Amino acid sequence: MSKPFRIAVVLATALMILGPVGLVIYQSFLSGPFFQPSSTLTTQAYEFVLFEEDDFREAFLNSAIIAAGMTAIAVPLGCIVAFLLVRTDLPGRRFIEPLVLVPMFISSVVLAFGFVVALGPVGIVSVWAKGIVGFIPWYLYSKTALIVIAGLTHVPHVFLYASSALRSLGSDVEEAARSSGAGPMRVALTVSLPMIMPSILYATVLVFFLGFELFGLPLVLGDPERILVLATYLYKLTNKLGTPSYDLMAVVVVAIIFVTLPLVYTQRKLLAAANRYVAVKGKATAQKPLAIGAWRWPAAALIVAWLGFTVVIPVSALVLRSFLSTWGEGVAIWPNLTLNHFRELMEYPNLVRGIVNTLLIASVGGALSVGFYALVNLALHRWRSRWTGLMDYLVLVPRAMPGLIAGLAMFWVFLFTPVLQPLRQTLFSLWLAYTLVWLAYGMRLVSASLLQIGPELEEAGRVVGARPAQVSRDVTLPLIKAGLIGSWVLIFVTFVREYSTGVYLLSPGTEVIGSLLVSLWGTGAVDLVTALSTVNLALILVGLALMYALGNKRHA
Amino acid sequence: MRLRLAATLALTIAALPAAQPAAHAQGVPAGYPATYSEVIEAAHKEGALSIYATADASEVSELLAQFRALYPKLKVEYADQNSTELYSRYVAEAAAGKTADFIWSSAMDLQIKLVNDGYALTYASPEKGALPDWAKWRDQAYGTTAEPIVFAYNSRLVPEAEVPRSHADFAKLISQKKDAYRGKVTSYDPERSGVGFLYLTQDVQISPSTTWDTVKAMGQAGAKFYTSTGAMIERVVSGEHTLAYNMIGSYVLQRNRKDPTLAYVLPKDYTQVMSRIGFVSAKAKNPNAAKLFLDFLLSRAGQVELARKAMTSVRNDLQESHGITSLPGAAEVTLKPIRVGPELLTQLDQITRLRFIKQWQKTLAAAN
Repeated sequence: MSKPFRIAVVLATALMILGPVGLVIYQSFLSGPFFQPSSTLTTQAYEFVLFEEDDFREAFLNSAIIAAGMTAIAVPLGCIVAFLLVRTDLPGRRFIEPLVLVPMFISSVVLAFGFVVALGPVGIVSVWAKGIVGFIPWYLYSKTALIVIAGLTHVPHVFLYASSALRSLGSDVEEAARSSGAGPMRVALTVSLPMIMPSILYATVLVFFLGFELFGLPLVLGDPERILVLATYLYKLTNKLGTPSYDLMAVVVVAIIFVTLPLVYTQRKLLAAANRYVAVKGKATAQKPLAIGAWRWPAAALIVAWLGFTVVIPVSALVLRSFLSTWGEGVAIWPNLTLNHFRELMEYPNLVRGIVNTLLIASVGGALSVGFYALVNLALHRWRSRWTGLMDYLVLVPRAMPGLIAGLAMFWVFLFTPVLQPLRQTLFSLWLAYTLVWLAYGMRLVSASLLQIGPELEEAGRVVGARPAQVSRDVTLPLIKAGLIGSWVLIFVTFVREYSTGVYLLSPGTEVIGSLLVSLWGTGAVDLVTALSTVNLALILVGLALMYALGNKRHA
Repeated sequence: MRLRLAATLALTIAALPAAQPAAHAQGVPAGYPATYSEVIEAAHKEGALSIYATADASEVSELLAQFRALYPKLKVEYADQNSTELYSRYVAEAAAGKTADFIWSSAMDLQIKLVNDGYALTYASPEKGALPDWAKWRDQAYGTTAEPIVFAYNSRLVPEAEVPRSHADFAKLISQKKDAYRGKVTSYDPERSGVGFLYLTQDVQISPSTTWDTVKAMGQAGAKFYTSTGAMIERVVSGEHTLAYNMIGSYVLQRNRKDPTLAYVLPKDYTQVMSRIGFVSAKAKNPNAAKLFLDFLLSRAGQVELARKAMTSVRNDLQESHGITSLPGAAEVTLKPIRVGPELLTQLDQITRLRFIKQWQKTLAAAN
């Protein structure tokens, strides 16, 4: 790519990021809403949040603990699962792989509710366990349970990053280690996983961030014991003061932005020697699954246990609930089975439109977003410039805004920028908001695969006379195809359940399933929420089955 | 296509006894001043109507269909959202100059703040004579429903004889049967939920000593406090909790019709009444269409339809048939409506709020 083009792409992206973020930072220094002429410049919001608010301190600390805890669980487990499913001859791995992604498709509020139905104080599994041992050996609403569930349900995120990187790794390095006598565990820990360090590091930073802005799980599981995290703190703040105080919310965002800086700095330091991770070289390498021998069964057992806890238990509880008229301790299941919730759901206005919009924005919108992420990445690819460093910091910033505020900021930008105004009530605004908020995720997925490409391949292209743009199109892009498809899958699932970012941009005609779920949840219509989630899940499973079938055909 | 659909709807609805106004389709509704035809005409010129509301779209789909049948020339858009979102969205859009025409929300305090801040158009609805005094303010804010605040309980697990019938009973029951009700009592968290705060402060105004006794007893019984209605109702149904204080009647009633496990009581000593407040936006692009919608909401037909969805009627002349009085056990109950008026503004005063929350925390903890 030519230099002016690179600079243009970087500037455009930076503008996209700094628009809403700048607005929020500006808001943090005002005494009232920025759009009201009576607001004046002041630092009183900072003084209040940082020095007078015990709740903020508590929420910040809780968020940090939960984020760290869930990262410590999700990252190692996600890497192991990815290694086992992608690189080894684990029995049934082709069948298990799509299942790993299931927790990502379910709105976290609904998934958390599935855990309540299964493992809550009168949950189906809890009552059964009580029948056997006489008491319930766990308490679902504790901070520990929250961390464990958050950790286990974020394994798929790490899995997606790690697996797409592992897929482009040749088997030569692993076989070399194997033939010099290393066991499968050692191969994984000292060869395969270190080779995909960039992906793992990205995944770590991003999962940590997801933990920081966790909302759905603490909303449901933290509610009874009033465990406060940053996202739920924002609601509490509004309630404490009676009306939404944008200045105080903005200060919370600024505080989170300050957390991103050292994280990105560390990540950059660790990845300084990017050429160590080159796996796709001029010489072709074959991929062969690694035989793990006797390890097959404990490995399979680990994955099945994880799947059982994270997917089977909450999801089957949820699906079961959608067919029940009532439930609870001492209520028999059979006599209460019903299809009424689904019948009622069919009468729901705009249901079909919501489903179509969701699928549209996730599939087509997701593909466009990946295209955009790839473009920005290519603009930065092999460019030794300070711009790339700046972008490393910038891309994570939109994610520093909890969904609620990101949504508000995007809404303000669309509302008060005359050029964007006509687009506000279209799916485009929603797409742009989603693309921006998930920028860090998509960018990292694509760049992780780019780091694996040896420079000699592109140099060869230049040598035979191709222009820079041609090299990008004919050499680089085809080489990272697997990475791009992986990104698209991640973005697809992310967009399917995204909601909060778009909450203010939604208007009649642009409803998505997420928004329908939340409005139903608000009025206590849990019957319909579970039925809608079941339908949503069925749709996704059909999609996954199709992908699986197509994938098989391609491999045959 | 739209015309045909509307015509079919109008036919269907004309066949229903509850929807007589359809007969007046293009004329002035019965009992309205003749000048009302000017409003209708102006609304037709506007041709559209945009509504922001907290009531779920599925709950009002029939209501909107009836309104469309009445005024088929209006293109109606309805956007439901939670009350804080609605407030943020409306305030920002109003500043940008383009927003919805009719604002209809269950957060009474936020609605009154908007009206007080000058966001509402002054309009004397021809239906206002049918409303009780507490449900209207300055010809701007109108209470459109009268929904009871109830005790909800799990009918499978709470013996009929134990069910508290008054606020004092509630406090007595859980302080006497502390162990049986340990962890079983629930309510909105006044610290984290706007409606929870509103109803509890109203309780304190009506009956301070009983309310603080109840809070103290809840503390002793290890009550759990929530922010979301859905989670709370579901947990009462499942038996995780069995007794819920200050629940919004319409949500409980709706569930009760489908699943009698969730039962409810209107407290006899007094039952609070909340109302969804609607106003025509001062920044409305289609103010006349919004006026038509407000009048329809308040009309007999609109009120009957709302009551069908458990949002009981505010109209004086529908009390017996579609109001709270029509609910089982409501006959001997004293109703204490939350006034639609400036009194609600004191709710939003930050110092008052923080002070109240402190006292609540202290009372709750004093028990241990």
